[in-house]
Amino acid sequence: MSEPGSDRAYQICANCVMDTSDAMIQFDEHGVCDHCRDIRENVLPEWETGPKGRAQLERMANDIRKSGKGKDFDCILGMSGGLDSSYMLHLIVTELGLRPLVFHVDGGWNSDLAVNNIQMLVDKLGLDLYTEVINWEDMRDFQLAFFKSGVPHLDIPQDHAFIATLYHFANKHGIKYIINGGNISTECVRNPKEWLYYGTDMAQINEIRRRFCTRPLAHYPFSSVLFHKVYLRYLKGVKVVKPLNNLPYTRELAIDTLTEQYGWRAYPQKHFESRFTKFYEGYWLPTRFGYDTRRVQYSSLILTGQMTREEALSKLAKPAYDPNTIDDEFEYIANKLRISVDELRSYHEMPKKWYWDYPNQEAMFDFGAKVLKAIGVERSIKR
Amino acid sequence: MTLHSRIFPVLLIRDQGLVKTRRFGEDRYVGDPMNAVKIFNEKQVDELAIFDIDATVQGREPDFAQLEKIAVESRMPLCYGGGVTTAEQAARLVSIGYEKVSISAAALDRPELIAEMAERIGRQSVVVTLDVRKEGLLGNHNLYTHNATKKQSAKAIDFAARAEELGAGEIVINSIDRDGMTDGYDLKFAKAVRDTVNVPLSFVGGAGSIADMAKLIDAVGTVGAGAGSMFVFKGPYRAVLISYDRPDNAREMT
Amino acid sequence: MICIVEYGSGNVGALANLLKRRRIPFFISGNSSEMAKADRFILPGVGAFDPTMEQLLQSGILAALEQEVVGKGKAVLGICVGMHLLAEGSEEGTRPGLGWVPGYVRKIDASKRNRPPLLPHMGWNSLLPQMEHPLLNGIDCDRGFYYLHSYFFDASDDEHVMARVRYGDELPCAVTRGNVFGVQFHPEKSHENGERLLQNFAELA
Repeated sequence: MSEPGSDRAYQICANCVMDTSDAMIQFDEHGVCDHCRDIRENVLPEWETGPKGRAQLERMANDIRKSGKGKDFDCILGMSGGLDSSYMLHLIVTELGLRPLVFHVDGGWNSDLAVNNIQMLVDKLGLDLYTEVINWEDMRDFQLAFFKSGVPHLDIPQDHAFIATLYHFANKHGIKYIINGGNISTECVRNPKEWLYYGTDMAQINEIRRRFCTRPLAHYPFSSVLFHKVYLRYLKGVKVVKPLNNLPYTRELAIDTLTEQYGWRAYPQKHFESRFTKFYEGYWLPTRFGYDTRRVQYSSLILTGQMTREEALSKLAKPAYDPNTIDDEFEYIANKLRISVDELRSYHEMPKKWYWDYPNQEAMFDFGAKVLKAIGVERSIKR
Repeated sequence: MTLHSRIFPVLLIRDQGLVKTRRFGEDRYVGDPMNAVKIFNEKQVDELAIFDIDATVQGREPDFAQLEKIAVESRMPLCYGGGVTTAEQAARLVSIGYEKVSISAAALDRPELIAEMAERIGRQSVVVTLDVRKEGLLGNHNLYTHNATKKQSAKAIDFAARAEELGAGEIVINSIDRDGMTDGYDLKFAKAVRDTVNVPLSFVGGAGSIADMAKLIDAVGTVGAGAGSMFVFKGPYRAVLISYDRPDNAREMT
Repeated sequence: MICIVEYGSGNVGALANLLKRRRIPFFISGNSSEMAKADRFILPGVGAFDPTMEQLLQSGILAALEQEVVGKGKAVLGICVGMHLLAEGSEEGTRPGLGWVPGYVRKIDASKRNRPPLLPHMGWNSLLPQMEHPLLNGIDCDRGFYYLHSYFFDASDDEHVMARVRYGDELPCAVTRGNVFGVQFHPEKSHENGERLLQNFAELA
């Protein structure tokens, strides 16, 4: 299959800012895209943020508290230091009185800002933190394998480690409730599959490992996720809960609350708590593939009334990376991965590949999409 | 407001990765050294000490390539120890950006090395690190090398004095029994060492809190207070999260 | 454009890295023919006085450097032993120094301190400016800089002492005479203060 959408004329949604860089996008007669239609028709009407939503939240919290009686923790939450997971932690502890096992996955790319934010939050809330430090030699080799494969979804090594760690801790401590910071307010529009493919498709992962890894990745926390998902979801009854959907959650609210109460400091953009993700989403994806994840984020904000289309367009007109510092960033990434700048550039210039160019279980994942979405297999789970 | 006590993180490198030990034994993987160095850099720490804990045991010399990468990123003074046996190696380390070079087993093996290094790189850059274990009914402080496996006949305090005579610019006392225990420094021994030598001193092993460091400074005056676990672990589950802080009395009048 | 003088002593790597991050144009050279390209110089230096002076002489760039600094009045910043070289000589050795700032390098008299540690002077110490100078703009004097030395620059003329540090006595830690500057501490290893100072040096008129 050739570059997706290469034969289409450029078109951008009349309502949000998704465009034909999403090769599967469909437009109606008004020029409105299928993301907008789907969300307006199926998602927004079900979205309860008023008293009804609050009531749902309270009921959920009750169930969680009950299930955790006599145990060390009643739920589990992954903390990246990012906005959504930080606010969510604040919410469930201070307003719902939950007792989460809070964990953080260190993939070697933490920014100092993220580390500070996690510390302040955890300290102020009087919580204890678990961390999983991924063996750097393995992580590095795994990340390089993805670079060498030429596909867009380079962040799978970080994503997969997060999901595997989540399941490991939940299983170990018998925790039935996974608190997920995914939310409609800022994420109703999903990243196209071509851009950010499933982080748990082991057929794809194993093939890329087989072809491009130089190490056995003996210390990397692989999860036979499908097994765990089915096992935990249906047999052990683990539920995924998204509290941020039951209240009027906005970025403003989150940033204000956190800054005021914890001295939390905001990131310049979503995902910038990881230096790799910052580089990957801010520079690599847009310049190599033309995929600008800001389009997806801003479109969500447009649909939920937090940003105007004009504002989004004006922001998108500027690059997502800082042209003044990008050379330094490029060098930093290359140095950290212990490759030359030339080698990194060669990966940037190599012929493009997509998930379908390697063995994959797409069909199975699409079929199980509802289950997977609920458990949050997409990137949102780590917020 | 004048000379400050030096509050510094101690990084242990094994197999190119960072580890933290307990009593020089059980080790736990803590991450990529480069990332830790970056974060400590951003936190503007006073100094950083880096030890390759297997170099001597494996009879290896320092990994100059990795160390150079670390030095280039660092905006704070660095001390390195592990596998240094010649003044030549010390000079090379200085040239790639290490202000201080530490020897331990090599100094006990051949004390003249201290003088040779002082001659070559200057006394101010020569650090002698003594791994000390308090043991026995009498609570003697015995000297060990090779990751606490080889007991030395020399007594710690005596050798500290000798090292100073031979040209050491700094003595670091590394407590094996307190390593990773976060129970506080061995203050009594610290005072004994302070009373014996005049060169700058640093103590590593036992720091569990800023209060521990404050107590050390109260006990011996302006000093180097090193910490491994404290700046890398957080909470009862020993979550890996890098932090840095100084006690108020680090900025003292002398 | 700054030239970091490479003559075999001193930590060029961290200096270069810092200037690069700050987007201050510079080049590294140990080549006489390239000295004229710079409009100012950084002279690093570590180790003992005599071997360092020896290395500078052996490098063959001294004449060209002198031409630029003394002849054409271009600025030079000596760091640590690089600063010591600017003196007329040192108690630490027997060789004469460059004599660009009158004074002698002497051993710190640690007896003036009332308790150990004595020597070397090791650690962060506060800065005591003796004059207003653009080189010191924006420096957090309380935090100061990192010191690691047993010898200090005893300037003959107080007018040349830009700043002092209290260690027993109040020792000169920064000197200046016209276009010649020297600092005892390591700006490339003194975090923000150091970066600030180097930035100031780059911007000096």
